[in-house]
Amino acid sequence: MSTRIMPQFELLAPQSVDEAVKDLAQYKEKAAVLAGGTDLLIMMKDENKWEYVLSLAEIPDLDYVLFDPKEGLRIGAMARLTQVLASPVVKERYRALWKAADRSGSPQTRAMATVVGNILRASRTGDCNIAILALGGTVVLRSAEGIREVVVDDFWVSQGVSVRRPDEIAVEVKLPALSENSVSSFSNVARTTLDVSKVNAAVRLDMEGDICKHARIAMGAEGPTPIRLPKTEKMLEGVKITDEVLLSVEKSVPTEVTPKDGRTSAEYRRDVSGVLVKRAIQDACNVS
Amino acid sequence: MKQRSITLFVNGEEYCLTIPVNRTLLQVLRDDLKLMDVKYGCGEGECGACTVLVDGGEAIVSCITLAATMDGKHITTVAGLEKNGELHPVQQAFIDEHAIQCGFCTPGMVLKTISLLTKNPEPTEDEIRKELEGNICRCTGYAKIVKAVQRASEQMRASQAK
Repeated sequence: MSTRIMPQFELLAPQSVDEAVKDLAQYKEKAAVLAGGTDLLIMMKDENKWEYVLSLAEIPDLDYVLFDPKEGLRIGAMARLTQVLASPVVKERYRALWKAADRSGSPQTRAMATVVGNILRASRTGDCNIAILALGGTVVLRSAEGIREVVVDDFWVSQGVSVRRPDEIAVEVKLPALSENSVSSFSNVARTTLDVSKVNAAVRLDMEGDICKHARIAMGAEGPTPIRLPKTEKMLEGVKITDEVLLSVEKSVPTEVTPKDGRTSAEYRRDVSGVLVKRAIQDACNVS
Repeated sequence: MKQRSITLFVNGEEYCLTIPVNRTLLQVLRDDLKLMDVKYGCGEGECGACTVLVDGGEAIVSCITLAATMDGKHITTVAGLEKNGELHPVQQAFIDEHAIQCGFCTPGMVLKTISLLTKNPEPTEDEIRKELEGNICRCTGYAKIVKAVQRASEQMRASQAK
């Protein structure tokens, strides 16, 4: 691999989403979609699989982070992590995503990379992906045939592979309108702050007083894609978050994960899984 | 298209360029415009040596940015910071604190510092270290770099107060 030389390709620079989906209908898997470029350009320097690069940069108004108390949060395909981090409502109501974005990459890559790009990269360890899965996101895809919405639980197939068809553009990710009673957080371990997470976890708890009514737990690097932990989620439903509950959660998590050796060993990934979920719950609920 | 005509404003100068679309912004700055102050480090966005400012504020890495997607943008490199023969306060602070060893990371460090101080004029040491995480100094002279950022912050606030 040469990090100096970019391969040959043709650039497509559509000026609207309509134009972009027309281009994709024609070129399909021959075209890569370029948003922030922090993953794509490195992949292309390594091994170029594409004849065309379709840049979203010139399509106006795709860089939004919009919140509506009824509709929830919408993050456009060109919204950078820095924009998500600058949003007070994300910091307050979607803390898992804020924390995940805050620890992703370097300041420079956060200024370039997009949340939607992170989802499409379909990494089992993508920090934002884990937060989006815990929060309950929906990916909005556009093609020449129309609009398709896919809940993020069904979006990833395997490492690097999603259900996005080659003729589709992911135009935004939506997160549900969470009430003030919904709390969330994110935790991870990585070699350095800049490095990709070895393991990461995110939780969303819908509380009623001090009783948890509903829980969503997501983990990264603990299966072929980002995974949910349904058995442990059930344990949290209808109970108060006490030290005893946290202890049983910590014991249950490792029984639900299926890690493999990689950036770190499967053994380590299983060992730390319980405590990461516990820390995320403690942080979400502001208890120690 | 395999080639594209773009207009780039670099350090205040307007350049009308026709470039192959696979050229990175770093290649255009160094190889076409001969701005050797922008450094080629890792080529994959990890080290921050090729950091430039876009439209006066956001610091990005030019090695993983396609120049053809930057039409109309204003790029600042470290060579564009000097005004009327005077160094930018951040540059001066790096000299005064001896925050330069081999100097290879310095252009990126200085530009990232400017982007940091634009958003946060009075950062804590933790904030400085977090914001400079994407700039690697292989001489490991981080302590003096942090001091230089603190000195620049003080001096810029003092001159603003005047």
